[in-house]
Amino acid sequence: MGHAMADGGAPKKLVEVRGLKMYFPIHAGLLRRKVGDVKAVDDVSFDIYEGETLGLVGESGCGKSTCGRAILRLYDPTAGEIRIGGAEIAHADAETLRKMRPAMQMVFQDPQASLNPRMTVAAIIGEPLDEHTTLTKAEKNARVYELMDQVGLNRTFANRYPHAFSGGQRQRIGIARALALNPKFIVCDEPIAALDVSIQAQVVNLLEELQDRLGLTYLFISHDLSMVRHIADRVAVMYLGRIAELGPRDGLFETPLHPYTEALLSAVPEADPDAETTRQRIILKGDVPSPANPPKGCNFCTRCPKVMDICKSVKPDLIEVQPGRHVACHLYNQTTTMTAGQMAASEAKKSIQQGEKR
Amino acid sequence: MSDPLAAPTIEKPRNQWRDVWDQFTTHKGALVGMTVLGVLLAFVLLGPFLWHEETLTTTEKIMLKNKPPSARFPMGTDQLGRDFLKRMMQGGQVSIAVGLVAMMISIFLGTTVGVLAGFFRRLDGPLMRLTDLFLSLPLLPLLLVMVMLFRDALAGVLGPEFGTFMLIVTAIGITSWMQSARVVRGEVLALKEREFVLAARSIGTPPRRVILRHVLPNVISPVMVAATLNIAEAIITESALSFLGLGFPPDFPTWGRLLYDGVSYMQQYPERVMLPGLAISLTVLSVNYIGDGLRDALDPRIRGR
Repeated sequence: MGHAMADGGAPKKLVEVRGLKMYFPIHAGLLRRKVGDVKAVDDVSFDIYEGETLGLVGESGCGKSTCGRAILRLYDPTAGEIRIGGAEIAHADAETLRKMRPAMQMVFQDPQASLNPRMTVAAIIGEPLDEHTTLTKAEKNARVYELMDQVGLNRTFANRYPHAFSGGQRQRIGIARALALNPKFIVCDEPIAALDVSIQAQVVNLLEELQDRLGLTYLFISHDLSMVRHIADRVAVMYLGRIAELGPRDGLFETPLHPYTEALLSAVPEADPDAETTRQRIILKGDVPSPANPPKGCNFCTRCPKVMDICKSVKPDLIEVQPGRHVACHLYNQTTTMTAGQMAASEAKKSIQQGEKR
Repeated sequence: MSDPLAAPTIEKPRNQWRDVWDQFTTHKGALVGMTVLGVLLAFVLLGPFLWHEETLTTTEKIMLKNKPPSARFPMGTDQLGRDFLKRMMQGGQVSIAVGLVAMMISIFLGTTVGVLAGFFRRLDGPLMRLTDLFLSLPLLPLLLVMVMLFRDALAGVLGPEFGTFMLIVTAIGITSWMQSARVVRGEVLALKEREFVLAARSIGTPPRRVILRHVLPNVISPVMVAATLNIAEAIITESALSFLGLGFPPDFPTWGRLLYDGVSYMQQYPERVMLPGLAISLTVLSVNYIGDGLRDALDPRIRGR
């Protein structure tokens, strides 16, 4: 892990996401008029460096999966820019996008649902090859077998159908399919959430091994904090469609900056029973506000234990408070005492992430 | 990583259709259905070559009308002294052909409309309103109008028999696709949200191949059911049309026509109703069982049990 970061030279950005917004319209009433938006992803910006794993965590419904899918253009984003390897994704037309697909792939959450029940394993793994290569039948078979070896599936399974496999094996099929075209970037959308704990470790180890061998870059979406701590190099914490905190794994897990990250990390159970009994939990009150109608100021202001007046009126930008560590919280904002005029100005200004002036 | 010795023993990816056939042959109902349909097809297609009707003069025909089954006329004669066996064979050809062709037209239309409406949100509204429109039309009067307007024109181009045939199958086909369209649309709406369709999109599979590879094979079950029911419906509708004098010409036999002709003599000669009725029922039943077996055979989750 962290090869790219440790190599000394400036790490190369593979994925750049700027101001990504994904709104789903709400239609209501007799005429199905648009009455609002579900702001599933609201102004999210981050980078993923080559060879690293960015963990994306947050509770259910905070927009993690939507974010991952929007990055691969499985949804048409409402606004924002996405670049993978320098190529613009967010507004590319269908044919350009199709040509870029091999570089970016996805591993899905539910291995049962992500495999067509009427196709054999060979056909499932071979589908990307059918779409993007002109291999002969024999070459394709060879490649399918090679992929099955890579993910640890027995070659004799090639003619079987997905229903004949266990959850872990199905996820391996899904991973083999994602690897078929030698992608650079893989979005892992909760790849372990539907699996047994014993199988989770196998799949995560497989993902790590493949990363080492093939130099893959992952966006690892999960709500399993201990798994993210294990696999990720950097971690982004999402709350209600926005990034609350983004930073290197160790720093973030040891000294969380954002109150939400603190609360989230305090919910991770300890393996040590002594530590577990003395563990201080931060229990958040109330529910997550509806993404259709988020609070006016900071999205977390309705539940934040450290809420201030300014939090209820101004959305905090994601700013770099320590080298490599970004947080969207007024606690760390130097210009907390702003006048009304400055507030309006900051509202209008787009968040510039990581202090970049472009 | 892999055992090099194991490699040569691995089977090549098998042809899926062989699996399907293997499973199909384990379905007893389907095999019986195949046999019955085979016998019926042999009866109507090969029968006319084996059974030669005597050429009778009009006087002889009048003398020989309404005869019960005998060695000379295995199924008796009708009210005009015509050999009923021969008429059953000819009628079967037309009825089965009408049933199959009308079913294909209706399933093709229904599946196309259903898949397009379910898959492309933009087409959903217009196509489903069109379906509602067709559903709300009173079918029999519509058929009557269509036949009245186009029969002579088509007969002029394609000949009276083939023209009428085309007209009737088209008319039945385009008035019976709505149910399957609705069922298919519902299935496609659910399938479209499944992750394997999303996975195909993330691979970069264009929509038309997503439909062919992922959506259509998974809607095959409801389509099969609709198809088998449609055959029965088409045969019955054709007989209703013939009965009303708007199908095939009166001297042109179909099973439905024979059935309706027999109704007025039901008291005296019940076999004249029972024979065509039985033929229609057997065809429908056997097709139903074949459809059932095919549906099971096409589902890999059931296959091999």
